Amino acid sequence: MSSFIDYTVNGLVVGNIYALLAVGLALIFGVANLINFAHGSVYTFGAYIGWAAVTFLHTPLPVTMLIVFVACAGLGVVIERVGLRPLQGKARIAPLLATIGLSFVLDQLVQLVFSPDPRAVPSDLPDWRLAVGDGSIGAMDILIAAVGLASAALLYVFLRFTKLGFAVRATAQDREAAQQMGVNVDAVNSAVFAIASALGGLSGLLVGMYYNHIDPAMSFQATLKGVVAQVIGGVGNVPGAIVGSLLLGLTESYGIALLGTTYRNLFAFVLLIAFLLWLPNGLFGGRATIQSEPLVGSFIAPSRPIRLPRWAVAALALAAFALPLATSAPYLLQTLTNAWLAAMLALSLTLIAGTAGQISFGHAGLLAIGGYASALLALDLGAPPILSIPAAGLITAGLGALLVFPAFRLRGHYIAIATLAIGEIVSLVILNWEGLTGGAMGLTGIPPLSFLGQDIFSNRAIYWLCLAIVVSLAALQARFLNSHFGRTLRAVREDEIAARSYGIKLDRYKGLAFAFGGFGAGVSGAIAAHLYSYLNNQTFDSQLSLLALTMVILGGMGNVLGAIVGAVALVGLPELFRVAAEYRILIYGVVLLLLIRFRPQGLLGTV
Amino acid sequence: MSEALLRLDRVNTFYGPVQVHFDLSLQVGRGRIVSLLGGNASGKSTTMKIILGLLAPRSGTVEFDGARIDGWPTHRVIRAGIGSVPEARRIFPLMSVRENLLMGAYGRADRKAVGEDLERMLTLFPRVAERINQRAGVLSGGEQQMLAMARALMGRPRLILMDEPTMGLSPLFVDRVLELIAEINRQGVTVFMVEQNANLALQIAHEGYVLQTGRIVLQGAAALLRGDPRIREAYLGGAAAA
Repeated sequence: MSSFIDYTVNGLVVGNIYALLAVGLALIFGVANLINFAHGSVYTFGAYIGWAAVTFLHTPLPVTMLIVFVACAGLGVVIERVGLRPLQGKARIAPLLATIGLSFVLDQLVQLVFSPDPRAVPSDLPDWRLAVGDGSIGAMDILIAAVGLASAALLYVFLRFTKLGFAVRATAQDREAAQQMGVNVDAVNSAVFAIASALGGLSGLLVGMYYNHIDPAMSFQATLKGVVAQVIGGVGNVPGAIVGSLLLGLTESYGIALLGTTYRNLFAFVLLIAFLLWLPNGLFGGRATIQSEPLVGSFIAPSRPIRLPRWAVAALALAAFALPLATSAPYLLQTLTNAWLAAMLALSLTLIAGTAGQISFGHAGLLAIGGYASALLALDLGAPPILSIPAAGLITAGLGALLVFPAFRLRGHYIAIATLAIGEIVSLVILNWEGLTGGAMGLTGIPPLSFLGQDIFSNRAIYWLCLAIVVSLAALQARFLNSHFGRTLRAVREDEIAARSYGIKLDRYKGLAFAFGGFGAGVSGAIAAHLYSYLNNQTFDSQLSLLALTMVILGGMGNVLGAIVGAVALVGLPELFRVAAEYRILIYGVVLLLLIRFRPQGLLGTV
Repeated sequence: MSEALLRLDRVNTFYGPVQVHFDLSLQVGRGRIVSLLGGNASGKSTTMKIILGLLAPRSGTVEFDGARIDGWPTHRVIRAGIGSVPEARRIFPLMSVRENLLMGAYGRADRKAVGEDLERMLTLFPRVAERINQRAGVLSGGEQQMLAMARALMGRPRLILMDEPTMGLSPLFVDRVLELIAEINRQGVTVFMVEQNANLALQIAHEGYVLQTGRIVLQGAAALLRGDPRIREAYLGGAAAA
């Protein structure tokens, strides 16, 4: 049924939708030097506002669009005012993390208000199609193309010929100089967020009408697509964002034609990685490029970490070990076991992002590799978990370091984008490599933990096992931090060029950090696989990566004990107090926002 | 000294725990060229930031034309009648020369007069006029300096602040820039300039202040300061005096 022309039309339509997102991201990047991770949430918000207007008020399309436009512009202003303006002058990673926090909050609010169920956005467009060759173009296609073109044209006129447009461009090129021309740069930021968010919201509405489907979980993918389109066109470059979006839409559409729908995102992220590695400034590079200032090194707020005396740490560990002797409440032990598993992940991330300064947004990918490795070793080769779990740790260490290796020369925002994409690619490869992983069906019947042929089901035993691993990893990592290795990693974090000029091989040390971190995360994923007995490509999703980042920031970047405290606080406490799942994400978002604003060094301080 | 257009009174500034200014007081008379001299890390550029509102002093006041402007956001300071030629010029590299000039008039609403001023700038700065439609980033350092001056004048300032206007220029352009500063001043604009090169600055300035690690150590008429051995001392520190 579908012809080449149909795929082309679909690619261009989807490209236009991406363009509405990417243009906003580019504008925001221009004036605020920030990748706005809340952008996808605005898009979702726009879709729901549109749905509500059509469903409850029965608004005709132009009115719906106007409502979405205005509502999202307002949301953009709020995001800028609440999330970003207070962070001016702080490290550049701070506003980026704030937008992640905001996206948690916004997505969960949408979900609480509108329910997590998918909705259909009714469209009152005439149902006719125009035959073109052996394909066809529908009214919806034309509407989306028209909105895309009109927005691009208006944006061009705005930037080129209006006073505010001048101010936007001047601010993007040199914020301080613009101030010295009398430009109120805060007002410019506000206006840019309003425009970008209005366009992003329209994009969400159009997507809802096009696919006749919206759900609150669509934000993150939307942000990612916008980011990919931007990297293709050159980050911060408005015309580049449009071209990049159309190229991305077409690539995805033709890719689907060749291989099937589940490959859509894989194409997007492989394209992203390819551009990051070979053409990091994008097709129209050389213009506004991301400054290569380290993102994390400067976030490590100068702080005096709170050091507990050795005996206190030992006492805490002992108390944790003794807990199951005092109580056998299964719920408490299971919850804390989950916290220990999260702690392994947080230890891994705090080493990589905190100590080595390689901010990773794709850490869930390491869990997935570890989980699948151990499950497959057990299922296909009959390996006992006692062997398959450490083997999975080693496989994750190797594969993790290998996958990220090409990204080692990237810095700043780019390494964050690259690790995000690598995390997504891991999940997409799992989805598509059905022969090995079972694809979307997942792996079932993963054997439980066992020791010498004896299955372990006791909550206490599992608790002790996980705790013992956490304590060992933490002890090892603390030892590392005070060794030559730890100091070198911190040197790499503080100043790559200076480190290199002292003869430090950057790649080797980053590789070692990812390998050591990969081992811990892999073990955590592996144990989880045996506990859950079921895995699929969504078991370890990107939200988990961001949650891990929140734990690490809460504890204090690079702080070993802090990572464990962060994991217990964010995984253990909400569950113990039986906070409903949707409120948990809301809490994580708020915690992240408050931390970045008021205590960037975390609870225990950065190391 | 004539009536002060700009007055700093006992300003103390800090970067975190580090104090940059110690009870800094100075004034710029209406219609004068006043030069703030000093070596590296003496706090010259920070003084500009304080006046522009890019940085807030911990204590002390800044008055412009009788109004206290410390605590004002930068855009408000500019719109009150202060033009800025920033250090290292800071022109907008991706905008055309014309667009750069128009940015200088950002705070003005009188479009017709802006057009006239644009013509005036092109007469005053012929080198800029030649390149009116080119991207500003491709101009040479000296041309960029002229553009930055023209851009600041487009706001019709009563006071123009210049941060190291001769830095990094070829000797030919240095003389030209100094001539232009004197010319701008003759047209009625008060000039407050920061300079590292005392000899150059004192050629055109009426008064000078010498700043040493955040304190004014010397001040007076340019004619008297010229050749004063204490200037050398201020630049090189106490040890070099002997």
